[in-house]
Amino acid sequence: MSRLAGTAAALALFAAATPVVAQSPSPAPAGSPESAGSPAPAGSPAGGAAPLEGSVTLWHTYSSGAGTELTALNQVLDSVRSANPGLTIEVLEVPFGEVFNKYQLEVASGGGPDLMVVPNDSLGQLTRDQLIAPIDPAVEATLTDISQLALDGSKVDGVLMQIPESLKAVALYYNGDAVATPPATTDELLAALAADTSVGLVQGSYHNFGWWGAFGGQLMDDTGKCIADQGGVADAFAFLAQLKEAGATFDPTYDNIANGFKDGSLDIIVDGPWAAGGYVEAVPNVGVVAMPSGPGGPAQPLTGVDGYLINPNGDTALATQVALALTSPEAQQVFADIAYHIPANSTIVADDPISQQFAEAVASGFPRPQNIELNNFWGNFDNALNQVLDTGADPTAAVAEACAAMNTANGK
Amino acid sequence: MTAVAIPGQRRSWIRMPGRNARLVILYLLPAFFVMGIITFYPLAFQTWMSFTDFAIGNLRPGAPAPPWVGLGNYIRIVENNLGIPNFYFVRQVIYNLWWALANVAIHVVLGVAIALLLNTKGLRFKKFWRALYILPVVIPPIIVATVWRNMFDTRNGAINYLLAEIGGLFRIPAETFQIDWLRFSGDVFPFLPSEVNYFLPLAFFALLAANTWLGWPLNAVVATGALQSIPGELYEAAEMDGAGAWQKFRNVTLVYLRPAMIPYAIYGFVITFNLFFLAYFMSGGGPFGRTEQLVTQAFRLVNQQRLYGIAAAFSVIMFFILLAITLVTNRLARATASFDR
Repeated sequence: MSRLAGTAAALALFAAATPVVAQSPSPAPAGSPESAGSPAPAGSPAGGAAPLEGSVTLWHTYSSGAGTELTALNQVLDSVRSANPGLTIEVLEVPFGEVFNKYQLEVASGGGPDLMVVPNDSLGQLTRDQLIAPIDPAVEATLTDISQLALDGSKVDGVLMQIPESLKAVALYYNGDAVATPPATTDELLAALAADTSVGLVQGSYHNFGWWGAFGGQLMDDTGKCIADQGGVADAFAFLAQLKEAGATFDPTYDNIANGFKDGSLDIIVDGPWAAGGYVEAVPNVGVVAMPSGPGGPAQPLTGVDGYLINPNGDTALATQVALALTSPEAQQVFADIAYHIPANSTIVADDPISQQFAEAVASGFPRPQNIELNNFWGNFDNALNQVLDTGADPTAAVAEACAAMNTANGK
Repeated sequence: MTAVAIPGQRRSWIRMPGRNARLVILYLLPAFFVMGIITFYPLAFQTWMSFTDFAIGNLRPGAPAPPWVGLGNYIRIVENNLGIPNFYFVRQVIYNLWWALANVAIHVVLGVAIALLLNTKGLRFKKFWRALYILPVVIPPIIVATVWRNMFDTRNGAINYLLAEIGGLFRIPAETFQIDWLRFSGDVFPFLPSEVNYFLPLAFFALLAANTWLGWPLNAVVATGALQSIPGELYEAAEMDGAGAWQKFRNVTLVYLRPAMIPYAIYGFVITFNLFFLAYFMSGGGPFGRTEQLVTQAFRLVNQQRLYGIAAAFSVIMFFILLAITLVTNRLARATASFDR
């Protein structure tokens, strides 16, 4: 009864603003005849073992990007379905901004999808809330071709919590018709602005995290304490203020920057591989390079890992096998070819120049932390960045204040 | 529950003749049962939640009860001790009251003025105008917010384009009108104290413009209905008594408008106080939380901060604020007075 009341109260709190985008999935109970799946070889939707049987629900957010990811997913799903005629995969797209909250609420209430493919943005939190099932060590042992970077990004406290599919990090897009040589350093980026090259940046901590490393800044130490106030980060903020002063466009609305690049009003932006399909279509001579390095070294954007999370409420064995089929080498090749994904499987080579540049950005990136202290990072540092860029606040003071607030909230 | 009063009988339904009382209770039971499940029980549970450190894990089957924190959540809210940037509870309450008051005042005045214009004798196409001005109301809120946000866009917004065109007539450079309506955080009125300017960011006026466009038509509809119910003989009698236009408006029109407009203004105040979509989708509560409303803040506490216990306490506080407003306005306007009084 208290669970019913809890659910009702939580729904009341969510009010009408949370759009209902899905029917309530009904994962088949473990061990039921309907869900009894026969394991297939890892990563092989049409492997030699008995085909998978049962029914699963999959959530994804692949319409949020350029749409090419959705095309790739549909192609992979067709392949898996044809190889497993007894397997039903119900697919539901959830807006990216809603997916984690929706998943949390539904899984905590005993429902939710059987599996969900998302970046590892909330992997740590979902693990701590016991809303995802750990991957069976026997399955993990079969992931021999998955890169160490992808495996590390899929673990929380040493336990594999998702089946990795691809790696992601932001890099610098440029319009080759307007920019002959893309800037390799922060000084060159400032010089390009002075030479009337239009630069646009999403005003938020995620897209600008790479500059921290370029100026020698760090977010946290090993204990989770914020150390961004110990140098580097304030310099990065000051550099961004310089960019704005020199005429760069900063906009917190992602679509405004993306559309600016597509319509030709922006020559240089920073964005991720998920948007590449749209840019290739709109900007014929588009190019990608790593974010410019700075006095502190190369830029270090956050490296994330897209992976399949398994709902503990459902048939985890079947869901895991489906996830393995959807991340098989063939499937990852499809995503690499169509959607510019950087495969988690190290044996697959993405030969497109754009993908290769993103692969380099991923390799030099900063693995996204999964500790609980990160929860109090985004709001405080977004606010600090806004203060510096919108009100001309002193970067050192703004960073110190954000770091102190983060440490206070984390009890550090 | 409102007492059913029948002239000539005692006021309480409990003392109705037995069969009638049983019938009334029987008719009310299904509605009360449904209300109990979907309204009263969740409200009571939410109130209980507000005294606990409720987390997502507490929803799980068989999960232990959340830790009891007593008034801790309420104290943290009042002390702005949530670890969230730009969270100032008292300022948010004041802004929210100011937002609702400013909107309702403009909506009512504009609605009545336009209704009076459209009630002018001899005006052609009256029905067409009345149908036209109701159009904003039927547009989905998310569309309204998105369109207005785009209109106030710094680089490509229609508002800045329009201002630049007008400025061009006076040879003012177009760059002058690259106004960042929704994010500018400086003082709009430098001659006012900063404490006052805090509640008047540029985004407030952008939101006000959007909500005025949305809000006056229904006020005009209500006012039109009231105006059409005023007997023409009253104006003729007033004229015979030597009343001028202003006296007729003050002593006849306003008197008949009042019973219709005041309850609607109260309703409008509550609706505007809880107006979610403009602050959330248009300004995002910015700049720096200065256009954040209590209802959008409550949503963020759940959706972004995942502070369920705090959000529950916040919602309880909101409930009492709205209850106080309703009681005060009812008292002032006697808007819900029974017919038998």
